[in-house]
Amino acid sequence: MSPQGIGARTGEKFRDRARAWLVENAPRHSADGGSEDAGNSAGLDAQRAFQARLYDAGFVGITWPAEYGGQGLTNAEQIAFSEEARHFSLPVGAFIIGLGMPGPTILECGSEEQKKRYLPPMLRGEEIWCQLFSEPGAGSDVASLQASAVRVKGDGEVGGDTWVFNGQKVWTSGAQYSDYGAVLARTDPAQPKHRGISMFIVDMRAPGVTVRPLRVATGSAPFNEVFFDNVRLGPDALIGAENKGWDAAVVMLRNERVAIGTMTASRGNPLGFESLRELAAKLGRASDPAARRRLAELYARERSLAQFGRLLREEAMSGRSIGARGSVAKLAGAELGAFAADVAADVLGDAIAGYDSSADHGSAAHGSADHGSELRAVVTAIVAVPGGAIAGGTNEIQRNIIGERVLGLAKDPGVDRATPFNQLRVGTQKRQGAS
Amino acid sequence: MSLILSADEQALRDSVRRFVADRSPLPAVRELIAAGEPYDRGVWKQLTAQLGVAGLTIPEEYGGAGAGHAALAVALQELGAGLVPSPLLASAVLAAGALLRLDEEAARQDLLPGIASGELVATLAITGGGGGRITAAGTGAQATLTGELAPVLNGAQADMLLVPAAAGDGVGIYLVDAGARGLTRVALTTADPTRALARIRLDDTPARALAGDAAGALAAAADLANLALAAEQCGAMAACLAMTTEYAKLRVAFGQPIGAFQGVKHRLADMETAWELAHATLRAAARSADEEPDSFAADASVARVMISGPYFTAAADTIHLHGGIGFTWEHDAHLYYKNALSGKVLLGGPGDQLDRLAGTLGI
Repeated sequence: MSPQGIGARTGEKFRDRARAWLVENAPRHSADGGSEDAGNSAGLDAQRAFQARLYDAGFVGITWPAEYGGQGLTNAEQIAFSEEARHFSLPVGAFIIGLGMPGPTILECGSEEQKKRYLPPMLRGEEIWCQLFSEPGAGSDVASLQASAVRVKGDGEVGGDTWVFNGQKVWTSGAQYSDYGAVLARTDPAQPKHRGISMFIVDMRAPGVTVRPLRVATGSAPFNEVFFDNVRLGPDALIGAENKGWDAAVVMLRNERVAIGTMTASRGNPLGFESLRELAAKLGRASDPAARRRLAELYARERSLAQFGRLLREEAMSGRSIGARGSVAKLAGAELGAFAADVAADVLGDAIAGYDSSADHGSAAHGSADHGSELRAVVTAIVAVPGGAIAGGTNEIQRNIIGERVLGLAKDPGVDRATPFNQLRVGTQKRQGAS
Repeated sequence: MSLILSADEQALRDSVRRFVADRSPLPAVRELIAAGEPYDRGVWKQLTAQLGVAGLTIPEEYGGAGAGHAALAVALQELGAGLVPSPLLASAVLAAGALLRLDEEAARQDLLPGIASGELVATLAITGGGGGRITAAGTGAQATLTGELAPVLNGAQADMLLVPAAAGDGVGIYLVDAGARGLTRVALTTADPTRALARIRLDDTPARALAGDAAGALAAAADLANLALAAEQCGAMAACLAMTTEYAKLRVAFGQPIGAFQGVKHRLADMETAWELAHATLRAAARSADEEPDSFAADASVARVMISGPYFTAAADTIHLHGGIGFTWEHDAHLYYKNALSGKVLLGGPGDQLDRLAGTLGI
């Protein structure tokens, strides 16, 4: 069916059609609660192929305008699709960042040429995007970033309408396979820190771009460090106005928080109630009175966050602004993760301290079921939990946002707000570009 | 039903909120407490006759409005926010809830219209432990009850008591008139001065056995009690959050409104987060009560787990974040703290709720 055929349908018909398409075409969550869902481990070619089919079926860019390749529908259809898709493991992990953050930002702040050039291939899965904000010296205080873009003329002299970009970014998901990135750079160091930042589109394959995998506590390398060494940015690379990049970044980060906060309770999570209960039962540890209470409380907390996520979706669907309450979901999600890790350790006990990864599902050497792969998934997830309280803004940053933008409390005294950036002490780097 | 309030629910919320502000503001509640009154009869009369809150979940054929549990939860939030003392929970939730689940048409027709209009106050004598300390002898209208039970919600004010008692191998629910022979009741000194409790003693007291599935009716009443108590507490938690947020904007220390300091701001952000989760679980439980009976028991327990404990924490933080002024007798914070303490342990405390939830989930 052509994407244009859907526009006239009502929300419920759209939901029915989405469900039917997913049942026919999409893989389900893996049953063993493994940490590597098909959605994230499928190869890039398979992901591109699936994204193209999803697009052709009319389920990508549901709320985006038709002129840029979207479906031109409302939040109601987007939420209906997301709710149906929750039961499946869509192999589209590589596209989540582009469609969730740079895409909407280009849609809101980009030029007509940028929208026409970049949005359609992003939707079809032909070009993959990443987001580059954090730096080694700018994490929670991301507005203190030091990567810099300087205007130059064709002959390299200062001034002119192209830029030379230098600096280092970190915690970039998908940089190794991305075609483009949305990057923040300082363009006026004489301004206070929030007012001298611009957002650019950077070609990740351009000369001077170096990507290195960043290995984290779990042992895997889901992020990268990215180095920019005299990378040229053309006149059409600037997203929005010069020195107004912080406003666009705030919009982008807000979208990120809602996504992260409501992601935690998804199925197939080894620290989820269902997975932990099953594993505890297999290990004969679920009927202990203390374990029963802990598992019941995990269920209660998981359920409450799911209901809050649903409430936010309903509000968005009815056209209300959820404002900064995505930060509530992000904070609650990180705290649920920490609680679940504690329950897992409590309920599974010393089974998580050592397990036989070579044995599985009752075939262990000592005559007892070992469930090594499930235990390994649990341990990996527990090790990943502290990262959840940092990624996408630490719990403390979320509490600042909730206090200031949800409750309306006075802002932090912020001694650096009015000071020109080039007079500030920032991060731990001595000079920009140091690596 | 949407988790967002409907236009009708918003109108109900606004009218109950106005009523509480006009007729039962906290200074009036304090006067009532000082006078040793369990609740204000005039307020109760208006709450029931004018606003119809006691009849919200009672079907129209018995004199109620049949509006549903979500509507009652909306009203209870406002009453909870104002710490309005009333026998609503005992009479319209516990007693009416049990009667509606039993197989006693005559008793329903006798009692429910009075409960709905507020002219009759009834209670169900249950505690978190589940009762069982009263034993029954005889059958039908010739039964007698002996034993004692505490704490019973509004036990000293009720005109009619529904009393679960051990009968043979099982449990039965019996109807006892407050004036019956051998019935004595003692009003208890309560941790929360806005919630009246009593000890009930029965000595060969005449009672009428009510037909029907008593165990099922008690379980249903416990679920409804969880929802109603959670609703009151969710409203009270919102009051704590609003009061403390306002103070953090006004009170200045070290040259800043105290809300600018992370030690204050972060605790308030945690209170806001706890309230958002509490409110979402309350709405979900209310929806289950009206539309998804199979998941109601679990959702009602979840609401208690996510509200009773967090409300107690919020009330304690309300005192703390106000500093010394918050610990004075004149400040309202201690009224919320005592209310949270009582509500946390009544009708099944935190451990009981988790055990009950684990059972419902089949763990």
